[in-house]
Amino acid sequence: MDIDKIAEVVETSNSEFVAQCYELEGVPALGSMVKTRGKEGDIYGIVYTSATHSIEPGRRITARGHKAASDADIFKENPQLAKLLCSDFHALVVGHKHGKAVYQYLPPSPASVYAFVYSCKPDEVRLFTQSLNFLSLLLDSKLPVATDEVIAAFLRYASRAHPTPQDFLVGAGKELAWLLSNDIRRLDSILKRLTQ
Amino acid sequence: MTLDITQVYSQIEAMAGELKSHQAEFARKLDTAVATLKTASANQSTLEKKLEKARATWLVAGLKEDMGLRRAAPACPPDFIVSASDGSHIDVDRHHSARLFLLNLGLVHIQYGSRPDAELTTVPKLYFGDDVIAIRSADGREELIQGPLLGIVRGVEECRCLADDVCASEAALPAVGLIDGSLIMWGLVGQRFEDYVIEYLLDKGLLQQLDRFYGLSKKRQAAVASYISFPRSTDVVNVLRLQVCPYDPVDCDRHCKGKFEGRECDAVGGLTDRAVFDRLLSEGERSALFVSTSSIIERYGVHRVCFFYVKLDSEVARVEVPLWVADKEQLLDLVHAVVVDQCKKGFGYPVTLSEAHEQAVVTGADRQQFWDLVDRVMQEGDLSVEQSLKQRSKKVRWI
Amino acid sequence: MTDSTQETRLGTIISGSLTAGVQVKMDPSRSVEDVAVGRYVAIKGEKKRFFGLITDVSLEAVDPHALVMPPDISDPFIAKVVSGTTTYGKLNILPMLTISGVAGAAGAPQPAKTVPSHFSEVELATQADVEMVFGKEDKRRFFIGNPLDMETKVCLDMEELVKRSNGIFGKSGTGKTFLTRLLLIGMLQKSRTTSLIFDMHNEYGWEGTSEKQTKVKGLKQLFPGKVAVFSLDEDYDRRRKVKSDFTVKIGYDEIEPEDIELLKNILNLTDVSVQTIYELARRFGDSKWLDSVFDLFDSGDRESVKGLDIAEGTWRNLKRGLSMLRRLKFLVRHAPEDAVSTILDYVTNGKSVVLQFGGYDDLTAYVLVANLLTRRIFNVYREKVDIASSADIKMPDQLVITIEEAHRFLSPDIAAQTTFGRIAREMRKYNVTMLVIDQRPSGIDEEVMSQLGTKITCLLDNERDVDAVLTGVSGKSELKSVLSKLESKQQALIFGHALPMPVVVRVRDYGSAESYKELGPAGASEGGKKDKADDLWE
Repeated sequence: MDIDKIAEVVETSNSEFVAQCYELEGVPALGSMVKTRGKEGDIYGIVYTSATHSIEPGRRITARGHKAASDADIFKENPQLAKLLCSDFHALVVGHKHGKAVYQYLPPSPASVYAFVYSCKPDEVRLFTQSLNFLSLLLDSKLPVATDEVIAAFLRYASRAHPTPQDFLVGAGKELAWLLSNDIRRLDSILKRLTQ
Repeated sequence: MTLDITQVYSQIEAMAGELKSHQAEFARKLDTAVATLKTASANQSTLEKKLEKARATWLVAGLKEDMGLRRAAPACPPDFIVSASDGSHIDVDRHHSARLFLLNLGLVHIQYGSRPDAELTTVPKLYFGDDVIAIRSADGREELIQGPLLGIVRGVEECRCLADDVCASEAALPAVGLIDGSLIMWGLVGQRFEDYVIEYLLDKGLLQQLDRFYGLSKKRQAAVASYISFPRSTDVVNVLRLQVCPYDPVDCDRHCKGKFEGRECDAVGGLTDRAVFDRLLSEGERSALFVSTSSIIERYGVHRVCFFYVKLDSEVARVEVPLWVADKEQLLDLVHAVVVDQCKKGFGYPVTLSEAHEQAVVTGADRQQFWDLVDRVMQEGDLSVEQSLKQRSKKVRWI
Repeated sequence: MTDSTQETRLGTIISGSLTAGVQVKMDPSRSVEDVAVGRYVAIKGEKKRFFGLITDVSLEAVDPHALVMPPDISDPFIAKVVSGTTTYGKLNILPMLTISGVAGAAGAPQPAKTVPSHFSEVELATQADVEMVFGKEDKRRFFIGNPLDMETKVCLDMEELVKRSNGIFGKSGTGKTFLTRLLLIGMLQKSRTTSLIFDMHNEYGWEGTSEKQTKVKGLKQLFPGKVAVFSLDEDYDRRRKVKSDFTVKIGYDEIEPEDIELLKNILNLTDVSVQTIYELARRFGDSKWLDSVFDLFDSGDRESVKGLDIAEGTWRNLKRGLSMLRRLKFLVRHAPEDAVSTILDYVTNGKSVVLQFGGYDDLTAYVLVANLLTRRIFNVYREKVDIASSADIKMPDQLVITIEEAHRFLSPDIAAQTTFGRIAREMRKYNVTMLVIDQRPSGIDEEVMSQLGTKITCLLDNERDVDAVLTGVSGKSELKSVLSKLESKQQALIFGHALPMPVVVRVRDYGSAESYKELGPAGASEGGKKDKADDLWE
C-alpha cells in the first residue's frame, strides 16, 4: 500500500484539481506543493484552499463540545462524525513532467480522476523552483482566496527547501518586482509577507 | 395553482387563539391526572384487581411495576455498541408497466468507548418478479406488496438488517439494536389482512428476527428496542380513566353508552401519556414499565411488547422492548442508558437512528433517476416500457 | 567564455541614438554610486565592439508611483529586492569608436557610425581597451595622464598634435600652466619641433611655482641642451640670480602702427588716435615715427604738432597712451642686437626659446612684444618656406609659438588683423603653429577656435566659455555635462585631432623626482619603463 499518498483527485480541470484527503487532519498546508498524475505524466500543483465539511451538502456541522474537554474527545464520543466529514483541498496546476523534463506551464490534459495525490518532497520542490517562470501564472489567476496570501505562503514554503532560504526569497522577490512593476502596492504587500 | 398564504393566515391566527383558551383547561386536567396517578400508585393492588375485571372501550396498558416509579438513567458501560436501522422505499409505480419496488435500508453501527469506531452503510434492494412482489398463500391467494403493505415489509427488512449487524458484532461488548417506530404491527390490527399475510409479516417476519435477538441475549448482553418520538399513545392515561371511574366493575358499554363527554373519566380525557410523564419525570428518568394490550400482541409470545416513557431534554419519548428484555434488569438498564445517551449525542433524537435515516433517504431526484434508469435499461434490452398518459403530463408542466 | 565579469559588467543598452548617445539600464548588482561621468565603457554589440564615455547618470523607477510611495526599504530584505528591479540606475553613454570583433583583435578603431543593438552588454573599459584606442607610449606618443579610475596611460600623438594649432583652456587655478609645461615637454621629447614661448609670468623657463608654492623645474632644467631662456628684464634676472641666454631689447624703430593698434584698448587710444599713428608713420617713415613722436612729446614743440594737423584732444590722447610705453625699459631707441634674428638663429638650430617677461608681466608689454616679435618671425618664416619650396631645399623646422591671454590677440574684432589670427588660419602652410592658453575662450574668435586641432580643457564654469570650447564638436551637449563635472584641479578633458576620442584624464604628476626622470630626455624613447640602454646613459 502506498503510504505516501494523502488524497485522491475528485474534480479536475486544466488549470486546477480538487482532491479529497484520506485523513480528516491530512490536509496539506496552504501554499505547499502537491503532485498527482495526468495522462502525460506527473502534474504539480500548489494548494490554494482547503476545507473540512460534511460529506452531504445539505447537512451542516454543529457544535458539540459544550461539555467536552477537547475536540479529540468529541470525535471519541461520536465515532460516526469521522465518517460523515471529509477534508479536501484545491490545487492550482503550475507545471508538469513529461519524461524527465519538467515544464512550468499547463499540461495538455488535466489530472486524472481518482489519481493519487502526494505531498512533494523537499528535493522535488527545490528542483521545481530553480526557475520561477510560473509565478506569472500564479499572479494572474483568479482564486476565490487572496492570491497574494497563497503566493507568499508558497514562497515561504519553497524557500525552506533551498540551502539558503533568504537568497531564494530575494531572487523570488526580484522576479515579483519585474512582474509587478506597475503595481508597487501589491509588490510591497507580498514582500512584507515574505520576511519571516 | 399556489397556496395563498394571506388567505390562510387569518385562519391560523384564529386557531392559535382557540388553542390558548384550551391551554388553561389542559393544565387543570394534567394536575388531575398526575394526582390520580399518585393515588393509583399508592393503591396499585386495588387498581390491578379493577383492571382485571374491567370491560373498557379503550386500550388500557397492563401494569408491571409501580405506576409512580421513576428511575434515573444508569451509566452506559465503558465500551458498548449501538446499531440502528431505518429504511425508505420506492413504491410500485402504477404508471409504469414494469412491476417492481425498491427498498433502501440504512444501517449505522457505532462502537463507543476505548476503541471508538463507526460504520454507516446503505443497502438498496430491488424486488421484482411475480414470486417476490406479492405475498402468496398456500392455496394461491395473493396480496400485492405495495402501499402500506410495502411499508410493513420494509419494517421487517429493517429488523432483519439490524439483527444481521448485531449478531455479527463483537461478542464481548454489550449491544443494543434500535428501531424507529413501534414494535407493534399496528398496520395488521383490525383484520384488514388475511391470516396468511399476517403470518408472513409477523410470525415469519418480525418475530423471527426478534427471535435472533433473543437467542443472542442468552449468550451476551444484547437487546433490541424501538423508539417513538412524540408518541400520541394514551394507554396509561386510560389506566387513569379506570382509576377515576366510579363504576365497579368498569363497563363502558353499560354505564356510558353513547356518551363522549361529561363522564367522570373525562376528567383525565384528552391527555396523552407523554404530557403526564413530562410532568412527572425529571430529565433522563424513565417511567414504570407497562405492557401493551393490543390484540396483535397475542401472537407475540415471548416478545410481548412492553414499554416505558423516558424524559429527554426536548421531549418525552416512548421506548418499546420485548418482554424478555423487560424482565432482565441488566438489559432494561442498558436500553435505558443507551437511549438517554443517544439522545444527548443526537440533540434530542437517538443519533444512530437519525444517521440511519440519513443513510436510507431517497430524494425525489433519486426516485426520478431510478425510474429513468429502469426505463433506459429496459429499452436497451428491447423490453417494452409503457407509461400512462397521466404520468407523462406530470413530467412536463405545460400551460 | 565571456569577457565581462561581475565586477566590470554595468548593464544593458535600452534606447538611444548616435547623436544624443545611448541609454543603459544598470544591472541590479551595480550601484549608481560606483560609476562616474567621464569614465570609459566598452559595449559588446552584436558585431562590433563600441567604445564610449559616460556622460550622465540618472535614477529611474519602473513605476513612478514607487517614488511617491516607495516600498518599505527600512526592511533590508525589501531593500535588496527593490534595488535594480523597481528602481534602477540609468547611464547615458556617448558611443564614439567602434572596434570590430572581440576585444584585443587587430584593427584600428573607427569613429562610430551606428549604435550598438538593443540589450548589448555594457562594461567598464579594460586597460587593454584603452591602450588599443589611444595607443601605447612610444617615441611619438606622450603620456599625458590617466583616464578616471584607471591606471592606463592616455597618450597624445605629438606628431599629429603639432600639425595644427592647439588650445589649453580653463579658469584660473585649474592647472593650465602645468598642462602647458607638460605639453611643451612632450613636444621636446617626442617631436621635431622647436618652441617659442612667450612666458608672461616666468613659469616655463628655468623654474616655476606649484600650487603649494613649491618650486618646480622649468624646461631649461629638464632639457638644458635644447632650451634657451631669453629675458626682457635684466633687473629681474639680477634679483633672481639667474642667468639668461640673451637679453631682449626692442628698438622704437621696430615698432609699427599695427603693433600699437593692437594695444588700442590697453593704452586707451581712440580710433582717431590710431588713425593718426598711421598718418604719422606715413609722414615720418615706418622706422622713425615713434622716435619722432616721442621727441615731439619731449620737446613740447607745439608748432610742429600743429603742422601735423592733429587735433588737440587726439594729441593729448596719443601722448597719454604712448607714454605708457616709455616705462618699458626694454624699449630703447635702437636695439643693440636684433632680437628677432637672434631668436631665429636659435630656433633654426633646433633650440627652443622661452622669453621671460620678468617684472613686465602686464598686458601692455606682453601684447606688444609677443605680437611684434611674432609678426617679424612669421614673415621671415614665410620667406624661407617660399624659397625652400621653389628651390627644393630643406624646409625650416616646425615652429610652435605659445601665447597666453590668447583672447587679447585673437578676439573677434582683431583676429583678422593679427599675425596670430593669420597663423591660426593658415595652419601649417608656413610651418608655424600656435599653442594658445586662455581662461576666457568665449573671447576668442569662433573661426580661430574651430581651427584649433586639439583642445585641452580644465574646469570652466562660464557657460559661454564652455560653449566656445565645444563649438563644432560632435556630442557637444553630452561633453558639456562631462566638462562641468571636472574636478577643479588636475583633471582635464582632451579632444581633437591628436586623440581618437575625447578623454577625461587625471593629469600626470609633475614635480616629483620620479616625474622629472620620466620627463627628461631620458624619457624620450618610452618614458616610464626604462630599458638597459638608457640605464647606461644615466
